[in-house]
Amino acid sequence: MARTTPTSQQVRKVGIKAPEGGFEKVLMVLSRYREASIAVVAVVLVIYFQISNPAFLSSQELSVVLRDTARFGMIAVAQVMLMITGEIDLSVGSTFSLAPYVMVLMTISWGVPLAISALAGILLGVLIGLINGLITVRFRVPSLITTVGTLFLLQGVVVSIYNSQPIVAPVQEPFNAIFGENLYSPTDSLWSWHGLTAFSPFLWTVAVVLAMALVLNRTTFGLHTIATGSNIIGAKEIGIRTDRIKIYNFMIAGGLAAAAGVINTVEFASADPLAGGPFLTLQAVAAAVIGGTSLLGGSGTPIGALVGAFVVATLNNGLVMMGAQATVSDIYLGAAIVLAMILNVQVDRMRARRRI
Amino acid sequence: MSSKDIPAIDPRAPIILEMNHISKTFGAVTALVDVSIKLRQGEVLALVGDNGAGKSTLIKILSGFHRPDSGTIIYQGKEVRFYSPREARAHGVETVYQDLALINHLSVYHNMFVGREYHKWILGLKLLDNKKMRDLARAYLDTLGIQIPSVDSLVDLLSGGQRQSVAVARSIYSSPTILVLDEPLAALGVREGAHVLGLIQNLRRQRSVSIILIVHNYNQVFEVCDRINFLHSGEVVLDASTSETSEEQLIRIVKSGLGREAIAAAAAEIGNAM
Ligand SMILES: Nc1ncnc2c1ncn2[C@@H]1O[C@H](COP(=O)(O)OP(=O)(O)OP(=O)(O)O)[C@@H](O)[C@H]1O
Ligand SMILES: [Mg+2]
Repeated sequence: MARTTPTSQQVRKVGIKAPEGGFEKVLMVLSRYREASIAVVAVVLVIYFQISNPAFLSSQELSVVLRDTARFGMIAVAQVMLMITGEIDLSVGSTFSLAPYVMVLMTISWGVPLAISALAGILLGVLIGLINGLITVRFRVPSLITTVGTLFLLQGVVVSIYNSQPIVAPVQEPFNAIFGENLYSPTDSLWSWHGLTAFSPFLWTVAVVLAMALVLNRTTFGLHTIATGSNIIGAKEIGIRTDRIKIYNFMIAGGLAAAAGVINTVEFASADPLAGGPFLTLQAVAAAVIGGTSLLGGSGTPIGALVGAFVVATLNNGLVMMGAQATVSDIYLGAAIVLAMILNVQVDRMRARRRI
Repeated sequence: MSSKDIPAIDPRAPIILEMNHISKTFGAVTALVDVSIKLRQGEVLALVGDNGAGKSTLIKILSGFHRPDSGTIIYQGKEVRFYSPREARAHGVETVYQDLALINHLSVYHNMFVGREYHKWILGLKLLDNKKMRDLARAYLDTLGIQIPSVDSLVDLLSGGQRQSVAVARSIYSSPTILVLDEPLAALGVREGAHVLGLIQNLRRQRSVSIILIVHNYNQVFEVCDRINFLHSGEVVLDASTSETSEEQLIRIVKSGLGREAIAAAAAEIGNAM
């Protein structure tokens, strides 16, 4: 083609509309560096709490924050994958309670080693995900509805097994040490065994988040997950098995929720039927949303979800430490979610608008 | 670039595709009634017809996106059933859909290769070979003379015409046996349209790929197509060769409203209506 360079540059200008106002520019930067912008928020929060309460960054307090981050983060990252496909799983809070309950019962009643019953618990989570996925995909029920149903159903099941009584979980080493059996105490050296095991839930979550980031950004499965949520008809037209992609992501969500529940039970040496529940689900969704994932499908970030989980955990613990009522932290959390969602949706809309 | 340059299709060229007696309804809507089309090796067949005539539905049955209620597809001499676009693509049937089927949240090069990615193994993990896909996409788009800002940009950010060009490039990249183009010129400017027509003309000259082209512009039909099938209310009402029909004749027939009598008159005039 005999097109000269200046003309083709003109074509480029026409193709991509430059942002207009300052607000649009900010949105544009945010859309490119979503994780970075939420990380800035996290750092500001930490500085704020540290100034208000110098004990905040003590290792002991930090290990509480990181433990909560681990719990929210592992569920949030699975939620991110699902939200990218345009679905959501609200039943994760119940899976979180049910899987470890089953694990502990198996070990207590049948003498199965914890490692094996933990695996069974996680497989149960995967199975729950499969069922959620099949109902959503085959019967075309929106997953918001499907999983509200399974949320209550499974919560009912776990509560009715043993009259909502928590059961004391057996301790088996090295299983408990690997999955985090204590909190960091002031006398611990970070390099001691005790010190390290205090952080192991967080380390597990970091490992899972990194793995999911790799899956999303560097594998065919990740590419097809994005395609499914971005343009489901188009994805089908080019031969992507969108139903399967959705079901697999539901299975991942169920499995990770179960794993998070198992780790939680190991930490507290107790399987509590009310450990998870709807509130945990919503905190995980909040972490995903604050981390930069919108519910519109097609985009999301696992790393952002981890940072989002840290923000949620920091808000929860920081405000409580400052002597605020636990409920006050909910006000901040609620405001953060609404703000994050407005931002996410605006960023997505701006992208859509610039399309010609 | 007129069709005069290219010798007419050899009437003895083997038939690569037959869609026989295809019918399809969507609930109460009848999209196709007993439609049959034939495609020869290397031929460019135009599928024309009013909006809602059923053109897209017919090619989506070929591409495995829809399943026909009845009818058969004979491809390369064998009866086939494509249960998904994936299968059709694996058999060498590539389609540019009317909606382009681009993934807005992915880059141009990922769009080029999504569904047939290149991989590399790193530490036992099967990862995307992004560098290879990026390089191949860039080189291929350059070869075709398709101009876009960068293969790294999201297709979301391209203009309508650039998007269409990327979709066309994606479909011919794998050297398909059958190429189906559903209004590939719709959003293109005069120059870009001529460019894509030129690409089709090149493919036609080589006679290695058989093409089904849906277009609304009769000029373009006569420029690049060997044969025309006219679809009306879910039926093929006219099957004419561009070398034996003139554009004026065709337009007259179309304007006459395509009622039963008009078809009969057209059949008498052209001698080969269905
Ligand atoms: N998925 C669907 N569900 C229901 N009805 C459909 C569907 N797809 C197509 N139709 C209907 O089938 C008929 C044929 O549609 P089709 O898209 O094949 O027409 P077309 O010839 O491609 O038209 P156009 O030139 O406007 O693209 C129309 O009446 C349309 O409304
Ligand atoms: Mg159409």
